[in-house]
Amino acid sequence: MKGHHSSLRRTISGYLYLVPALVLAYLFSYRPFLKTIINSVSLVNFSGKIVEFVGLDNFRHLFADRNFQVSLVNTFRFALLFIPLDLLFCMFCALLVYRKRRFNGFNETLFIMPMAVAMSSAALVFKALFNPTIGVVNHLFSLSIRWFDDPRWAMLTIVLLGVWMAMGLDFLLLLGALRSVPKQLVEAAQIEGAGPVSTFLRVQLPLISPTILFIVTTRLRDSMLLGGPVMVMTAGGPFRSTQTLVYQMYVEGFVAGNYSKGSAISVVVFALTFLLVLLAFRFERRGVFYQ
Amino acid sequence: MRRTMGPFDILKALVATMLGLIVIFPIYYAFSASFFTLSEFSASPPKLFPSSFSLHNYVRAWNDSLLPRFMANSLLVSFFGSVLRMVVAILAAFAVALLRFKGRNLLFFVILGTMMLPADALIIENYLTVSRMGLVDSYLGIMSVYLLAPVQLFMLRQSFKTIPQTYREVAAMDGCSDFRFLVSVVLPISGSIVLTLWLHSFVTIWNTYLWPLLVTNKPLMRTVQVGITMLGYADSLDYGPIFAAITLLLLPSVAIFLVLRKRIVAGIAAGTIVG
Repeated sequence: MKGHHSSLRRTISGYLYLVPALVLAYLFSYRPFLKTIINSVSLVNFSGKIVEFVGLDNFRHLFADRNFQVSLVNTFRFALLFIPLDLLFCMFCALLVYRKRRFNGFNETLFIMPMAVAMSSAALVFKALFNPTIGVVNHLFSLSIRWFDDPRWAMLTIVLLGVWMAMGLDFLLLLGALRSVPKQLVEAAQIEGAGPVSTFLRVQLPLISPTILFIVTTRLRDSMLLGGPVMVMTAGGPFRSTQTLVYQMYVEGFVAGNYSKGSAISVVVFALTFLLVLLAFRFERRGVFYQ
Repeated sequence: MRRTMGPFDILKALVATMLGLIVIFPIYYAFSASFFTLSEFSASPPKLFPSSFSLHNYVRAWNDSLLPRFMANSLLVSFFGSVLRMVVAILAAFAVALLRFKGRNLLFFVILGTMMLPADALIIENYLTVSRMGLVDSYLGIMSVYLLAPVQLFMLRQSFKTIPQTYREVAAMDGCSDFRFLVSVVLPISGSIVLTLWLHSFVTIWNTYLWPLLVTNKPLMRTVQVGITMLGYADSLDYGPIFAAITLLLLPSVAIFLVLRKRIVAGIAAGTIVG
């Protein structure tokens, strides 16, 4: 009887340790998630109260909205530029320094330095660097591009900022992966007469493919959630050319006070992050090689 | 271990150093431009080095703007936010790693499941929640959404699990309560990972932008990452004080980063710092 009593007490005290975490999970994740879904199928007034259930009307209006189509296209445009550029650049840097040689420790440090910089500082610096009149980018490369007035170029500045902020981590991940490829395999390929390119393509690349998949997956998710850099650098402009889903959600929710539409966009963002991660894992079964 | 460098190795090192210098150029430029005078900003061709190291811009940024207040806000929010975040994570991780009770794994997965719901897509509802609680323009409101860190909880659990069950049995026989066991045995053993995660939390909260922007309307309550984008010089070419403010933010974080570089690199290699 006594043993039963103390195990009950133990169970209750165990739950008590979890209460803060569970309350926070409910308050700031599950509840807002459910409310967002409910709001997306309702008419919501200015103070966030639900007026009536409208079914899929919000989504019908949303997908017919030219503004939303632009956000959707821009978000994918960002992802399609950002992820390949990030991967290629980080891979190139990692291949340059992955063998332990003199100076490579120093070079490594240079490549990961951007990790020390917060997004808003980085965005402000990039904004100044690309400034068409005082910026050094146009001057150093002898260009005369009006980066923030030209809808063809504005997105590229955000992509470059994105690569700069992501490269520290992604470079380190690829570096770690390259260093974990067994030396014997690389040497065996070289003895058989494979050059550096075919050694990379046939031995190293397949072995580090899980890391590449991880980077692609996390960066796809980040791309769907791109918002902060847009706010600091371009405010969605010029001519909505950098307006992303999360940026439009912010404008609908906080500037226009249109919570129904904002919530519907948010549901689209959830669905996209989910689907893309699933897709990446489907691809994994065919394209990724595990040791 | 290190072989002598062949010509190809030297070429690779040179290319790497050149790329590396391009990578850190924005950091260098922010530092250098923080000493520019107004006329140096509009110079053509643009300047890369300041003509003098006058602290004029720093004095202006510090005296004419709310920068000191922004920094104090960020320090308070990051310090108390990261401490609370560690407390929440430590309590939960302790329960799932070392206590035995029904439903423990299910509840653990409920908490981990929040990783599937990215916070940036929840900002509208979270704002409504915080505003109904009357926490807009408050430090607690800014911290609120960062107090739960499932990734850190997971890592603490992995670390706590390495503590042998026998320790707890012996302690229980001596009449030691669960909580005392946590404070006087578990935490001292796990000191290094707790410290690393706490530092990482501090930096994460210090660096956030979107949420603090939304939950603060009063200029006096802004965090430094938000405030720095609103210093009000941006429309003119008077960038000097902004670069001074950016440099003031950059120098400590770059210094901390260089000191902790080995630890960060090792942490990423072990999969601990990601996320």
